[in-house]
Amino acid sequence: MLLGNQLESNGKVGKNTPIRDAVAKVTGQAKYTGDLKLPRMLYGKMLFSPHAHAKIVNIDTSEAEALPGVRAVVCYKNSPDVFFNSCGEDIDGIKNEKVFDDTVRFVGDKVAAVAADTQAIADKAVKLIKVEYEQLPFNLDPEKALDEDTYPIHEGGNLMEVVEQNAGDCEAAFAKADRVYEGKYILPAIHHSAIETHAAVADYDADGKLTVYSTSQDVFAHRINLSRIFGIPQNKVRCVVTTLGGGFGGKIDMVCEPVASLLAIKTGRPVKLQYTRGEDIPSSRTRHNMVVSLKMGVMNDGTIVAQDYNIIVNAGAYASGTSSVTWAMCGKLFRIQKTPNIHFKGTAVYTNRVSGGAMRGFGSPQEFFAQQRLMNEIAKDLNLDITEFNLKNLMDEDGKDPRWNSDLGSTCVKQCVSKGRELFGWEEGLKEMEASAAENGRYRIGVGMAVAAHGNGVFGVHPDTTGVSIKMNEDGSASFTTGVSDMGNGSVTAQTMFIADILGLPMDKIAVVQADTESTMFDLGNYSSRGTFVSAHAAAAVAQQVADKLIAEACEIFEEEAGDIYLENEQAISRKSGKSASLMELVSHARHTHNKDVFATDTFCSIGMAMSYGAHFVKVQVDTETGEVKPLDYVAFHDVGTVVNPMNIEGQIEGAVQMGLGYALSEGVEYDAKGKITNANFRRYRIFNSTQMPPIRIGFTENSEPCGPYGAKSIGECSTVPAVSAITNAVSNAVGCDFHQVPLKPEVIKAALAEK
Amino acid sequence: MELIELNINGENIEIPVEKNWTLLYVIRDVLDLTGAKCGCSTGDCGACKVIIDGEAVNSCLVRAVNAVGKKIETVEGLAKGTELHPIQRAFIDCGAVQCGYCTPGMIMSAKALLDKNLNPTDEEIKQAISNNLCRCTGYVKIEDAIRQAAKVMRGEE
Repeated sequence: MLLGNQLESNGKVGKNTPIRDAVAKVTGQAKYTGDLKLPRMLYGKMLFSPHAHAKIVNIDTSEAEALPGVRAVVCYKNSPDVFFNSCGEDIDGIKNEKVFDDTVRFVGDKVAAVAADTQAIADKAVKLIKVEYEQLPFNLDPEKALDEDTYPIHEGGNLMEVVEQNAGDCEAAFAKADRVYEGKYILPAIHHSAIETHAAVADYDADGKLTVYSTSQDVFAHRINLSRIFGIPQNKVRCVVTTLGGGFGGKIDMVCEPVASLLAIKTGRPVKLQYTRGEDIPSSRTRHNMVVSLKMGVMNDGTIVAQDYNIIVNAGAYASGTSSVTWAMCGKLFRIQKTPNIHFKGTAVYTNRVSGGAMRGFGSPQEFFAQQRLMNEIAKDLNLDITEFNLKNLMDEDGKDPRWNSDLGSTCVKQCVSKGRELFGWEEGLKEMEASAAENGRYRIGVGMAVAAHGNGVFGVHPDTTGVSIKMNEDGSASFTTGVSDMGNGSVTAQTMFIADILGLPMDKIAVVQADTESTMFDLGNYSSRGTFVSAHAAAAVAQQVADKLIAEACEIFEEEAGDIYLENEQAISRKSGKSASLMELVSHARHTHNKDVFATDTFCSIGMAMSYGAHFVKVQVDTETGEVKPLDYVAFHDVGTVVNPMNIEGQIEGAVQMGLGYALSEGVEYDAKGKITNANFRRYRIFNSTQMPPIRIGFTENSEPCGPYGAKSIGECSTVPAVSAITNAVSNAVGCDFHQVPLKPEVIKAALAEK
Repeated sequence: MELIELNINGENIEIPVEKNWTLLYVIRDVLDLTGAKCGCSTGDCGACKVIIDGEAVNSCLVRAVNAVGKKIETVEGLAKGTELHPIQRAFIDCGAVQCGYCTPGMIMSAKALLDKNLNPTDEEIKQAISNNLCRCTGYVKIEDAIRQAAKVMRGEE
């Protein structure tokens, strides 16, 4: 509301804008954490647990310590006895992780680590550590976590938290419904698989200052955690991200940071610790494995009168962000359809698996999978078109959360479905599917769709703040600082676009220092779809303050009123008199007339509740002999409010489709009976490559979000949510099997066809 | 240690190496050419692609001693000062760059393709980067960029 539409536009917003550090990236000059090399730097290596659950009876590190070149060996015996929660959003919630513990709770848990002169020595040294384990009973199955005879993973048992929310009265509605349907759906853990694995370079100097460069989406939370763990005040902990090689939620948590820090503190030298891919998959974080049971009450005309969700959330071994994920996913279900009676119960439990954490979509893909899969089957049963069935139940453009009758901003979800199906050619797709079914040949065509919602920031849960500082330089260019660590999704580019637009500056005259706790204002963290909606809003709000100050200088020079003056092309210009002054002159005027610099620093707090929406449509071909699925065509239609940077938003969506295809068809973390992940490399954990991708067409609704900067809303997470459901629906429709699990690997499809 | 000579980006470099050192290790950790990245060390992700005698290869799978006498190109050799190679320019303009971690490897695969074939079909472009994984872009804009670069390199733009 504050910004955007009333301003003179300098033409940046709405235009295709490359990511701001693209030149550094295409030339190989961008410095990622793993590229850093500090004088006297040591190399770290972790020893991981081979057991799903065990007490460490003894660790003998003497042989490792004696190896020439080894500078430190750390384990539970010489590390801080401090519990923490690695996830910023839950930093004051349940704390049950330590840097090292005397109990290991999953295969891949941290046991010990070494710092040595070279990586080769460190790699050799960890193999010389002798660990005596007493194995404990373990459990991998979330549905058995609360059984009486299941061994407790933490003091207090395996129940982590129950989240329950309600609108209306489901039981009464089920009693009156024409039909009641039920389904149980199982979603596997997924690995984020950013191509950059987790890494940290920690440095501890003689003044007692700890500096940590790492692959972090949340430097301020890491600083709080490291300060608490090591008992160092925050002015002596500095967390920095140089360049981040993808995040997707997987780098919100501290992973390598505490151990690299401990090794740096022990040695007084910089230490680099970077996970290999084979370590990253079993030992970082995953999307939560969930078991979703859903009961839906429906009238014969297709009106959904009640939805009851009972979800088991597999937290894995440690609390991490599970509480936030469970709470966050809960809210989405009340913000997309008109159903008056909705009940959500999420039960988070511990198992002896790698911890679930934040991942793009934050629980939404799992719950919407159940909703959209069950609706797909209900539509068949009621002989309804799935797009019509969705349209009948989706919110209108003034949707409200039924729990509190509260506004949700501009809710154009219906447009996503109606315009999306047009772009896709839904009717033609259905005909093709019917013809393929009639032909009953080896290759079957299927079309499917799904619709879903995601949020914008964490208003109502945390103070949703981003601080930004902008200063004008002596030549009229500008520099700003922000706590945002851009994952590659373009948050800092969006910030820069807004500043450029408001100050009338070209983007290459705006410098930025980002994600450095020492020099930037606090930022809540790069998660929860805050990038554009909150952090870029903050940049715009502070830029407006700087613009006001520049215009105040111009008022004095021109002897005119502020309302007549605007900023454009590096100048202040009067609409009334046509007078102009360069930004350099305004800065000079401030300095020489008022002895002042032109700058502004402020904290912006988002108080907007807005939802982003998307409908995805996909056509697949299933080979009934091999079970292989080939995606043939894809349409994603989204409500992002104002389309701030079309090229960048399309790129986000196209990446989300890649992730959704893998989720539905080829990924999924697999465990053996003893809790070891059996596909911990890219040869067996298959993410989609270029040759497997279908053509993707993208459309946007035409609307503006009242709470968003320039009317904009989020896209990164939202675009991931409908994909897995749409693809699975298409495959189900192609072969006439009601799939309740993913991934639909060829053997799964062949087995389902054989059973049919 | 064995003293070898490598030809990297047109320059002959004498360097002592261990027999088991990979070319990626030598490039990144010894010579500080950190453009090539390690995303898997099993040859599955392509983040470490360099061009050896015209072919894009995973430098994590090549021993440095086996690269002697060959012409090695890394991403650092593409730009002439601030003048970017057309492939680099196209990656920027087409929005092919997000986190950038796969980008140097992608660009080297694209260069190996376009050095041999300035008129690649869409299928040939997909094949050329099929061993390069990207988690951000869905490959769409990377393929756009390669088409755009080919156009520029053909002198059409």
